[in-house]
Amino acid sequence: MNQLLSEPAKIELRHVTHLYVTTTRAFMAVKDINLRVAEGEFICLVGPSGCGKTTLLSLIAGLEKPTAGKILIDGRPVEGTSRQVGYMLQQDFLFNWRTIEENIFLGLDIQGIRSRETEAYALHLLEEMELADVRKAYPAQLSGGMRQRVALVRTLACQPDILLLDEPFSALDYQTKLKLEDLIFSTLRRHKKTAVLVTHDLSESIAMGDRVYILARNPGRIRSEVAVPPAIRDALPFEARNRPGFHELFHQVWKEMEVVTDAAT
Amino acid sequence: MQPHEIEAIHRNHLRRMAKQRCLVVATQLALFLLFIGIWEGLARANAINVLIFSYPSKMWQLFWSMILDGSLLPHVAITVGETVVGFLLGTLLGTLLATLIWWSPFLSRVLEPYLVVGNSMPKVALGPVFIVGLGPGLVSVIAMGCAISVIITTIVIYTSFKEVNPNYVKVVQTLGANKRQTFTMVILPATIPTILSTLKVNVGLSWVGVIVGEFLVSQKGLGYLIIYGFQVFNFTLMKVMKIPALLVRAGVPSR
Repeated sequence: MNQLLSEPAKIELRHVTHLYVTTTRAFMAVKDINLRVAEGEFICLVGPSGCGKTTLLSLIAGLEKPTAGKILIDGRPVEGTSRQVGYMLQQDFLFNWRTIEENIFLGLDIQGIRSRETEAYALHLLEEMELADVRKAYPAQLSGGMRQRVALVRTLACQPDILLLDEPFSALDYQTKLKLEDLIFSTLRRHKKTAVLVTHDLSESIAMGDRVYILARNPGRIRSEVAVPPAIRDALPFEARNRPGFHELFHQVWKEMEVVTDAAT
Repeated sequence: MQPHEIEAIHRNHLRRMAKQRCLVVATQLALFLLFIGIWEGLARANAINVLIFSYPSKMWQLFWSMILDGSLLPHVAITVGETVVGFLLGTLLGTLLATLIWWSPFLSRVLEPYLVVGNSMPKVALGPVFIVGLGPGLVSVIAMGCAISVIITTIVIYTSFKEVNPNYVKVVQTLGANKRQTFTMVILPATIPTILSTLKVNVGLSWVGVIVGEFLVSQKGLGYLIIYGFQVFNFTLMKVMKIPALLVRAGVPSR
């Protein structure tokens, strides 16, 4: 029992500070960030632009090393990128010269784990996204929403336990965005992934997340944390927006954001 | 609107496009004939110096007789061969150099000024160096065709390597790619279109380089014939040699 209690968090940031150094100055992107994400949890980071949201994702992904502090995944310090962590960008960035099929096998090729089984798994994911019929097509033939779904499959094909989502819906039109939110939400739940979503959209963060962190800028730091009640967080994002209590929560987060934005300007 | 109506509109559109294409080609042809006609006319009327300018029908006669007696085609073949080797070498070396520079940011910063200087240097001036170093012959001519294209290839391809959207690189990095994989899976395939278009430019450059090289040393090739024509004051021969030179150049798709 004791062992269970002391089990390490899936993702843990301890006093993480990161600086960017240019020729003109050294600039503090994030300062003294502490956060824990439990296995299977979905957390959201919101905040004004320049508050270091994307920096945090790059650090967790191992693309950059924090200037100070520790980042642990399953209790082990992060050293460079790993198979365990998947990353989804604002746009799909599919490779135009590869077919959809070859695009979703990209990670398998890179990690040298392409085999009949892993290919079958990737194609199964493609089917789940209702894209099985475009596997031989090229990215240019697909709509924005379809392309972002392919990008999700590309990320999930490597079977990461953690998914980092960097505003993956911001380049889509509103309807597509709502549908894709539901799809990604349910896919991640079904596959029991731990997720960190960065977004500008407050209602999206409440609808999708179990917890929402509000960040302030100059330097980027955690201003406050809002827990989303079970009634809202268990519903699909589209549904969640109509649940009682959603609007109150939205206003609470909105107010926090106002404070953060005013303080910075 | 009925499907057949839509189809009819599409057909009309295609027909209009085809007509326009015909018109363009016809006008191009007419311009060419007009130019030849005026040239011929002026020469016949003695309005231009026939010794210097020659004239089309005489050129055609010489051209045709040289083809028939087999004295032209070997020269063309030599020049084309030298060009192909020269430009392949130039492109290959340029791409390799660009890869090397991409690999090491330090090296790229070190070499940058040298590339700029190297590019602005008149490569033709290297001709004598090649002749002394590599001997008067085929190798020098090929070196000329290669030298004229290699630096510009390096610059163009390295620039396009750098212009690859960094987010593509980020995608493969988050999937765990190392530097070699980043290069072979993203950088190189993303720049293939640029490399192909530099190939086309390089053919033209090497063609010029090879002909200049032949001016300087060769006993064979179109460049040699042009210089020979000049030396014996046979300007008709000089001009005739420009026909295959132009034809071969025009045969390379430029886009």
